Amino acid sequence: MNKGADYAEVRALDRREEEIILKNGELDAYAISFDSGFSVRILAGGGLGFASSNRWTREEAKEVVEEAHRLAKASGRMGRIEFAEEEAAEAEWGVGQRKRIEDVHPEEKIAALLEVDKELTSQGIKVISRALICATELLEGYFANSEGSKIRSFVPRVSFVASGITVFESGRTEQIPFKEYGQSGGWEVLESWGLGADLAREIRALKRLIEEGRAMRPGRMDVVCGPEVVGIACHESCGHPMEADRILGREMSQAGRSFIHDSSPFWIGSRIGSELVTIVDDPTMENSYGYYLYDDEGVRARRRYLYKNGVINEFLHNRETAAKLGARSNGSARSMNYDREPIVRMANTYLLPGDMSEEEIFEDIKRGVYIRSFSEWNIDDTRFNQRYVGREAYLIERGELGTPVARPIIEATTQSFWMAVDAVSRNVEFQAATCGKGDPMQGAPVFHGGPMIRLRGIRVG
Amino acid sequence: MEEIVAKTEAIVREAKALGADEAIANTVVGSYRQIRFSNDRIDIGLSWRDYSTSIMIAWRKRVVLTEIKDFRDASGAVKRLMSLARISKENAAYGGVARGRFEYAKPMADGAIEHLEDPSGYIEEAICAAKREAGEGAETGGILFTKYERAFLSSSEGPEGWDERSAIELSIRAFSQRDASGHGVECSNSLKDFEPGRAGGKAGEIAKMAVNPKAGKAGRYDVVLDPLFFGSLMAVYGSMGSAFYAMTRMSIFADKLGARVAPEIVTIRDDPRTCSVNCRAFDDEGAPVKETIFIDRGILRTFFHNTSTARAFRTETTGHAGIIVPMPWNLSMDPGDLGRDEMLSELRRGLYLTNTWYTRFHNYATGDFSTIPRDGIFLVEDGEVKESWKGIRVSDNALRILSSISAISKERQRVHWWLEADPPSLSPFVLIEGVRITRPD
Repeated sequence: MNKGADYAEVRALDRREEEIILKNGELDAYAISFDSGFSVRILAGGGLGFASSNRWTREEAKEVVEEAHRLAKASGRMGRIEFAEEEAAEAEWGVGQRKRIEDVHPEEKIAALLEVDKELTSQGIKVISRALICATELLEGYFANSEGSKIRSFVPRVSFVASGITVFESGRTEQIPFKEYGQSGGWEVLESWGLGADLAREIRALKRLIEEGRAMRPGRMDVVCGPEVVGIACHESCGHPMEADRILGREMSQAGRSFIHDSSPFWIGSRIGSELVTIVDDPTMENSYGYYLYDDEGVRARRRYLYKNGVINEFLHNRETAAKLGARSNGSARSMNYDREPIVRMANTYLLPGDMSEEEIFEDIKRGVYIRSFSEWNIDDTRFNQRYVGREAYLIERGELGTPVARPIIEATTQSFWMAVDAVSRNVEFQAATCGKGDPMQGAPVFHGGPMIRLRGIRVG
Repeated sequence: MEEIVAKTEAIVREAKALGADEAIANTVVGSYRQIRFSNDRIDIGLSWRDYSTSIMIAWRKRVVLTEIKDFRDASGAVKRLMSLARISKENAAYGGVARGRFEYAKPMADGAIEHLEDPSGYIEEAICAAKREAGEGAETGGILFTKYERAFLSSSEGPEGWDERSAIELSIRAFSQRDASGHGVECSNSLKDFEPGRAGGKAGEIAKMAVNPKAGKAGRYDVVLDPLFFGSLMAVYGSMGSAFYAMTRMSIFADKLGARVAPEIVTIRDDPRTCSVNCRAFDDEGAPVKETIFIDRGILRTFFHNTSTARAFRTETTGHAGIIVPMPWNLSMDPGDLGRDEMLSELRRGLYLTNTWYTRFHNYATGDFSTIPRDGIFLVEDGEVKESWKGIRVSDNALRILSSISAISKERQRVHWWLEADPPSLSPFVLIEGVRITRPD
């Protein structure tokens, strides 16, 4: 600040990670890593500068500060950045562990992974390939800024990724390309997932798909989406387009822009879905994968109502976007390491439940399809034109589930998808995912999810 | 430099003294800079320095890895790794690491990149070029990135080498209208042939052509892919060429070694000794890198290997370690004999697609996938651009796409962009027959 900065902050992070990789039943490697570093972000003369290092010396720290200041001044020549006002915070927050990750012996971790593999390969089903990866991380953070904020944090996380699980039966191949599990917490969260049983159920479904599955004739029909499909739709076609940095164009050459902007039909107050569609993003869900209580600009986190009763309600903001749009930050700034700038991110994005039972959702469908899970998906860079291809899906006839359906495809606009929702079940489920954004890429742990929903008269390809 | 060498070698010596069968330490000291801009203005200047050492130890076919920063507690890290190795499980498929003394190619780094005072002038040049093409009202955004790395690798099995690696890249997207955009990239390991105006001009030219787009129509079309688009696909094909992904069936090539996967005009190579943002002298085992012909006149010749995966396939390493996952470094497709305009003139009713993103597979083993074209999408009739389109998707099969390449341009561009066209490549315009296009209802 002595150099004439308008604002300065420092973030420091200690990161301890482990990763165990099992390839086709063989322990490929056990990796551990220790990372520790700091960054300085400075706002000066309307420009923003950021510098970081993992060399903890006084001399290096001084150079990093000078570099951040120099970059801020240089950026100021072609930019004009302001931060929205926020209260300073002094806080300490963290996530508890019932079974501390650091106390679980590596042999126990390896054994857990081998047990999952054993269950996967003892179903009497030909699984010709798989890669299983278990990872843990312990993150100790410190944040301070020139406004008086001082925040300490501790987050343990556990994750598990199954990829390339390939079933070969009756001369045909079906695959689970990726399935991810993750939560913040101790080793107990992994033990709660029932990994072996869950993946075994998945491959039994693939085998049944191979043996009994048939393609549907394309056409309009009623579609029931399970929580996994609802979750990805919430993330892709609500969470991402509601990121204010994207709306303002800051991600225009990478992750893209948003169909929501000040000269489009879509802005705060516009209808985007039916009355039943209320989608929130909530970092404060305990033990969620995207959990935090203060964001990486030191702003207190809270639940954000993105689409409320089908209407665009509130963007995800950091201090920079909030200032540009005359709002307050809602605590959406996240950085994935000390050497990455905080940018606008989701945390845990999901559709709020309705009041129907799952039986009620199905019972008045004459002919339709239930899509339980998906493999292929994508969405355009304004987040309007999306596609979800079902992996596990079943025909619905007169309210009853029938034979497996091969590759039902929903290819819809954001508005046509959410406007078609006419029923929402009571039970919400979450899936862990790693959200990609930023350049360099910052993979952010998130939850997405929701209850089961029914879409009336939507085209299935 | 002496400190890096001494401390890296000491790690390997200590690991051996503690009983490691094989040990590799690979230190990279890097400085990286980036300027991000949007709406024609700079958003932020970033700089990060990274001092990291990757350590690999194998003991009785147990493989353990770690990464430490700034040599902090290096000795403790080695001891922890050895303890971990002793309680880990044997990997029967482990096949060792590169062995022997090698002569490496001279580093190709350009020191001028490290000492570049203020690279924001490149951004201004790119923006000006984009606006010259698309008009003053066009909006632009993107990034300028530079890196300079010093690397030293020491292996108990003999390899030992020093490398310096540099890169500069610019990515710019220009919007002539909200839904009319173009994208250009410029990437190199040296300042000598780095021309940001070329990327800006291309982004602006496509953005101008893309004005007033109409909703595209589903169907099957012959399609010319721009080098940026095909660079994204080549990155997918190259990644699927990793032996790791072949072994875990995350690849269309798993059972296709020696088989025809493309027409005779298709040859794809990998060579990080050429001009690239990923140029290097050796891989993560210290094996020297070299040219590898991946697809040779349509035949899948090899996977990309480290020593261990090579042993599983009863062949030699191709110099692509990754200790766990071998990957291509810098792909290129051999040129054809047509110019871009000649290629477009081949289209009676087809599409010219300039960029894509979000390529995702339903099944990596069979290759069913889709990807979303972005930026300029053009309907071409009788060789002339007739309309600008929007809102379509390529929904096809990766093997079918590869086998349907019918022409390749003589001009090629170096492309690298974000995580879409990564690893980098030298990519041509490519004509593909009968591509399936879908769109939302």
